[in-house]
Amino acid sequence: MKHFSEEELIAYQLRECSDEAAISGHLERCSECADLSESIAETLRIFSPEPVPQPDLDRSWQRLRGNLTVLTPQRPGVFEFLRKPWVWPALGVATAAPVLLAVFGLQTRHAQPPKPNYAINGHGPLTTEPVDPGLANHLDSAERLLTEVNNSPGPLDDVTRQQAHDLLLKNASYVQSARDNGDLAGAAVLEHFGRVLTTIDNEPQTPHSTWRVRLEMNTNGLLLDIRILQQNDDHAQGVTQ
Amino acid sequence: MDKAEKEAIRDVLAGNRDAYRVLMDRHFSTVTRIAFRITGNEADAEEAAQEAFLRAYNKLPSFRQDSAFSTWITRIAMNTAINLVERRSRDLSYQGPRIADEPSPTDHTVRVADNQPNPEGALLTREAASLRQTAMAQLTPMERTAFTLRHMEEIPMVEIATALNVTTNSAKQAVFRAVSKLRQSLMPIAGGIR
Repeated sequence: MKHFSEEELIAYQLRECSDEAAISGHLERCSECADLSESIAETLRIFSPEPVPQPDLDRSWQRLRGNLTVLTPQRPGVFEFLRKPWVWPALGVATAAPVLLAVFGLQTRHAQPPKPNYAINGHGPLTTEPVDPGLANHLDSAERLLTEVNNSPGPLDDVTRQQAHDLLLKNASYVQSARDNGDLAGAAVLEHFGRVLTTIDNEPQTPHSTWRVRLEMNTNGLLLDIRILQQNDDHAQGVTQ
Repeated sequence: MDKAEKEAIRDVLAGNRDAYRVLMDRHFSTVTRIAFRITGNEADAEEAAQEAFLRAYNKLPSFRQDSAFSTWITRIAMNTAINLVERRSRDLSYQGPRIADEPSPTDHTVRVADNQPNPEGALLTREAASLRQTAMAQLTPMERTAFTLRHMEEIPMVEIATALNVTTNSAKQAVFRAVSKLRQSLMPIAGGIR
């Protein structure tokens, strides 16, 4: 007879299992599983909801009110004017006018806009501030690793630790590049990431080591910072392309 | 979201901070209750609830009103309460109030309010509360949060997972681990528990 695991029986008691009928039928026949299931149910009964003390709303409000700044209405968004009724006809006229001008052969001269800084034999638009395409990959790897660190229930596996080891050297070079480019905020975030990598790479894994890294090194906050760097990098790539 | 809440938000955004009281009147009790489940004590629950309302106020200009304010503030409160629990566990000097027969300010111990008609009943209640508290202390903040919200507040797993910023499966696993740990904690002392 196949017995159900504790986890399956917990799911059953919490009404989170997919096959309730199968477990229910099994419990009627198997005293061993029935005992375990009853033990879980008893645990849940012991930790049943207790009454919660009512908060003092007036006192809380008085305390909170002192900290509330007066909010000012937001400035209308860039495209807010599109909601006005007269805008669409006006836009139609404005769009049609150049077409009409072209049809009737009217040509106007326009001042040439300044040309970007193209290299003589280059294939694409180069700028004076090139963006390293490898940085995007590095930030992606950082995001994946931190997501693993933030969500892993136990110690990190060998593959993740090897990834941390591999990222260490690259990260150091990106820290230096950010500093050289005057991007001190980016350098600080990558330095923080470097400390996390060093810790993962060097410290022995214990049942609580991942949890400790999360708490002590605020990897949740770091993940957010990395995502902001990714957005900044995407924007910079978009500008140069 | 109903009309009164929308109007309150509009007034707050127009500079009337007293209009925020409408939202607080409606949701502060629920938010405090959820924070209490996560933090496990009244003082921290009120602190977390107030911080959540302050954060929500400051973020109100960016609040998209296509979702309910209650869902939004609950999510902020869960995160705030979890952060508070994590801060407390990092701060080794912090001693939360513990239950004892004789209250002592130096030891941070308090006596549980006595609603029992006889001394034996009072003793049993205190012992039970103490055992529950000890068992809950074995859980990680995530396990405690996921368990209390699922079992005591009956919040769906999907919402808990969103608040904890994990997958639904991870949230489920946290609940299962919590129940298993609690059962193990009670095993040696509770006669009926096998």
